[in-house]
Amino acid sequence: MRRSGLAGQYLAIAAFAAVYLLIGWLVHNSYYQLIMTLVLIWATVGVAWNVLSGYSGMISFGHAAFFGLGGYTMTIAFVQFDITPWIGIPLGVLVGVLASIVIGLPTFRLRGHYFALSMLAYPLAMLYVFEWMGFQEVSLPMKREAPALYVQFNDPRAYMALALVLLVVCMIVSLHVERSRFGMSLTAIKQNEPAASAAGINPLRWKMLALIVSAGMAAAVGGLYAVVLLIVTPQTMFGALVSAQALIIPMFGGIGVFWGPVIGAAVLVPLAETLNAQLGNILPGIQGVVYGVAIILITLLAPEGIYWSIRDRFTSRRAARVPAPSTAGAVAIPAAAPPQQFGHPAADGEALLSLDGISRAFGGLRAVDDVTLSIKAGTIHGIIGPNGAGKTTLFNVINGFLVADTGSIAFAGTELVGRKPHEICRHGIGRTFQVVRAFPRMTVLENVIVGAYVGTASNVEAERFAMAALERVGMADEQAQAIAGGLTTKQLRLMELARALAPRPRLLLLDETLAGLAHDALEDIVQIIRQVNRDGVTVVIIEHTMQAMMKLADHFSVLDHGKLIASGPPASVVKDAVVIEAYLGRKWMERAKDPVA
Amino acid sequence: METLKWPIIDFFQALSTGLLVGGTYGLMCVGLGIIFGVMRVVNFAQGDFMMVGMYVAYYLVTGFGILAFLGPYAGPVVGAALAGPIVFALGWLLHRFLISRVTGARVVSAEAEGHYMQIIMTLGVALVLSNGGLILFGSQPLSVQTPLSRESWEIGPIFLNQARSVAFVLAAAFAAGLYLFLTRSDLGKTMRAAADNPIAAAYMGINVDRLHRFAFGLGVGITAIAGGLIASSQSFQPYIGFDFVIVMYAGVVLGGMGSILGAFWGGLTIGLVQQMSTLILPYQLQNTAIFVVFLLIIFFRPQGMFGRVSDRP
Amino acid sequence: MLKIRSLDVAYGGLKALSSVSLDVEEGQLVAVVGPNGAGKTTLFKTISGVVTPLAGEIVYKGRSLLALPPYERAKLGIAHVPEGRQVFASMTVMENLEMGAYARRDRRRQPDLLPSIIEIFPILAERRHQLAGTLSGGEQQMLAIARGLASAPDLLMLDEPSMGLAPTIVDTVFDRIEYIRRAHGLTILLVEQRVAEALELCDRGYVLETGRMILDGSHDTLMSNAEVQRAYLGH
Repeated sequence: MRRSGLAGQYLAIAAFAAVYLLIGWLVHNSYYQLIMTLVLIWATVGVAWNVLSGYSGMISFGHAAFFGLGGYTMTIAFVQFDITPWIGIPLGVLVGVLASIVIGLPTFRLRGHYFALSMLAYPLAMLYVFEWMGFQEVSLPMKREAPALYVQFNDPRAYMALALVLLVVCMIVSLHVERSRFGMSLTAIKQNEPAASAAGINPLRWKMLALIVSAGMAAAVGGLYAVVLLIVTPQTMFGALVSAQALIIPMFGGIGVFWGPVIGAAVLVPLAETLNAQLGNILPGIQGVVYGVAIILITLLAPEGIYWSIRDRFTSRRAARVPAPSTAGAVAIPAAAPPQQFGHPAADGEALLSLDGISRAFGGLRAVDDVTLSIKAGTIHGIIGPNGAGKTTLFNVINGFLVADTGSIAFAGTELVGRKPHEICRHGIGRTFQVVRAFPRMTVLENVIVGAYVGTASNVEAERFAMAALERVGMADEQAQAIAGGLTTKQLRLMELARALAPRPRLLLLDETLAGLAHDALEDIVQIIRQVNRDGVTVVIIEHTMQAMMKLADHFSVLDHGKLIASGPPASVVKDAVVIEAYLGRKWMERAKDPVA
Repeated sequence: METLKWPIIDFFQALSTGLLVGGTYGLMCVGLGIIFGVMRVVNFAQGDFMMVGMYVAYYLVTGFGILAFLGPYAGPVVGAALAGPIVFALGWLLHRFLISRVTGARVVSAEAEGHYMQIIMTLGVALVLSNGGLILFGSQPLSVQTPLSRESWEIGPIFLNQARSVAFVLAAAFAAGLYLFLTRSDLGKTMRAAADNPIAAAYMGINVDRLHRFAFGLGVGITAIAGGLIASSQSFQPYIGFDFVIVMYAGVVLGGMGSILGAFWGGLTIGLVQQMSTLILPYQLQNTAIFVVFLLIIFFRPQGMFGRVSDRP
Repeated sequence: MLKIRSLDVAYGGLKALSSVSLDVEEGQLVAVVGPNGAGKTTLFKTISGVVTPLAGEIVYKGRSLLALPPYERAKLGIAHVPEGRQVFASMTVMENLEMGAYARRDRRRQPDLLPSIIEIFPILAERRHQLAGTLSGGEQQMLAIARGLASAPDLLMLDEPSMGLAPTIVDTVFDRIEYIRRAHGLTILLVEQRVAEALELCDRGYVLETGRMILDGSHDTLMSNAEVQRAYLGH
């Protein structure tokens, strides 16, 4: 799907592993071997953190919680019950996963800094609890009779090999997450959660899944870390520096891509460890300073990490020229598709969406006031009205972002009030948003595919649907492979339209798709919308550009101060005195009737 | 009746200690409250600035003995007070050269994106300050000795540690002074306006960037004073900042993240919770009680006691 | 007093304003009307300095404003009453007015404006110690205007004062604007969606449609002008 295929990435991982093993074999100093092992361990922690925070944007300051739980589970199992770490570590993974579910369910309801601060609290609480329980310092017993059975080796390189295996496994899992609809959904959520919901993606489900995978990985590597160190203290397992490293390493190396943590660990861990070894006596705490300085520099100079800075520099040289549409400016208007490809052959003229007595208030202000209207299948229905009339609020209620205070909304027989946005999308309603937040580093096709996930089982099918949608909007040519970051406003709007069309909705809610466009672009998009409608998609559109709306819409509903004040064919609605008064003011009408000389 | 006597005394002892401790916590939280209220910056390094304040007080009074001439009673107080301006300057410089690069009036109105960069940069600052402190000051726990540290006043069966009591009074005094500043002075009102609505504040002719710089310095300076006051009652080492980050955030969130003065009451309550939790929990878990309270607030009443609903997540 | 020439502004990736020019002479009330999305608020924000133009000139009392950040422009005597009121909700009415007067500090000390403000908006006197956030929409709008007046401005700019207010309140607000104009001869730039009210008050009007000035003229030429109706309603 993307620039380098899956095979290419596997090759790169294999090459990396081979080179690392080779270097490891050549190194004989046991201290350097330890450092190499630590690099791998912290890289894995970073990969784990990345799966949640890098991909979804929910920044976690508390990954030490899972790391520590994994470490202590293995330790307690070993010390108290003589269970080998080969079993103890997977046990730790289980504990970590369970903890993540318990933590995730309530905490994901929070956003922004509240989420970050809560995540901070968990490992701190665990630290105190474990200290209190008497686990100040626990040493793993030496098992001289069967060392390998208890993951104890004489040659430190064995640990390195083990750590490498774990890292590679995590990298592969991470790779698959990235390239799958799981990863794409997370990216969509990170980019614009409401738009993702409206496209049928269930944010809570994907975030929980990401947390579970992330926690499992962190717990596994926590267990391994304890095995390597042989001494476990609450500070080293749950401490703030652990959570800080979990965050700094991927942010430094490159956020949102699994190579990032590897780069970050490869740079920072040897640096910190070596400085600590050389200068640790005179400058205790030099490690913390290194990490602190690293993260400060990164936020100033390369906020997304080294990997992206370097990559962006290369890609900007190559792909600066976004393939412009084949005919300058004009988008080829696609021929009509066979009717069963899009929309559904519902009886035209029947009410597809019916609003009955819908009201929604904010504080004392009635944003939507007892609105009853019905959208007939196969029509283009314009919602107009002066600024602040409640049009966008109405859309948000239909879409599920807001719950109506009173009334009901029937869509092809199903009641919509009370349903979540992604469910509503599943039922066949698509929506575009005024501000298009694209995935800037991905292609147009990748941006659109996210919309096709709902209702398609396989990625191949999703890609087909996405291409079909791009065809509808005339971007199925070389534009489909263009990087979204370089698109014009018109292309962005069309891409957004394609994303909404990808799951083949029966009804499309367009929110100011035409706003601010120049005449030619406007004409093209109007044409495309008309074509989409002819193919069977019912369109409801909020727009201020009256000229365009007059040509486009079959029917107008006019809102003012939340109330429906007029409804009918455009030509008669705009002449309606009530409407003129709403837009221009009562005194305008009075003047018109009785012009003063 | 006899069997009730001890628990009741314990209860009131915990209550009194909680109030005394809470006063300084309250002052600490107000510092963070200013920064969060005015700038909407989540400052991870707040506790470490407090730590710097403690060391400043220590070196002024004991280490370099600059204030020794003031005697053992006044010295620590003045030392704590002077920690304020010194840390203010440090904060001012840090904001000027680092933090303003990722914050500022434009970012305040932006999405959570901007927030993450702020938090993360302050995390870096926290690491540098705490570990830098370890390098400069060593890991030996210190405290500012005053004859009051070991003396207590007795009210019936209740003991009030003198150093803590003095610290409480001073903290309350500083907080009161700050209250007057915020409500009566022009600069104070300007800060409240910028916290309330930064865009409108810019329209009023207020230079919001420069105001943020001042607010940051003031916020860390106030917390440093609180630190200096605590320094007489407990020992500290360079990593102590992190212990207090949650205390401060719990206090600010409890008070309401938009309310600068609510933060004082939030901090006071947290002090009470911490001390009173020792009645039912083992001593080592007193901070866990704070976390529980913190999480409860975030989940059930995120706007805190005095905050605005618009600050809810 | 205010001269705008050939302003080109891009906002949110779109060309919001193209070649917009307008003049505000001292003592005039100039109205800028147009349908939603025409670029009225963008124009406002560009004059205040929140948005930077791609090209064009903004000259105030002979001085170019382009290099100045918003807070500097406020100190020159331009009072900005933004869209949506934007009062300081957690501060009292009096404190809001004091904040309004902040911009005056650098300029020559003027006599207390409070009595004249109270005269224009008596309701505010009653509510002087009330928190601004608890006022009704109309009261907040009046407070926002009063706050603008508190800076003793030479130019008062109002951005859609009618937005979100019930029709009767809108009448009251416009009545007060008219009073300010009459009693104090203040120069006012009024950006509004509600055409009739705005044009009725103005000496000169400009009509914006999709980023361009399509019409300008005196109050009489614009009232009942079919072009204006077409701009709003498409026909």
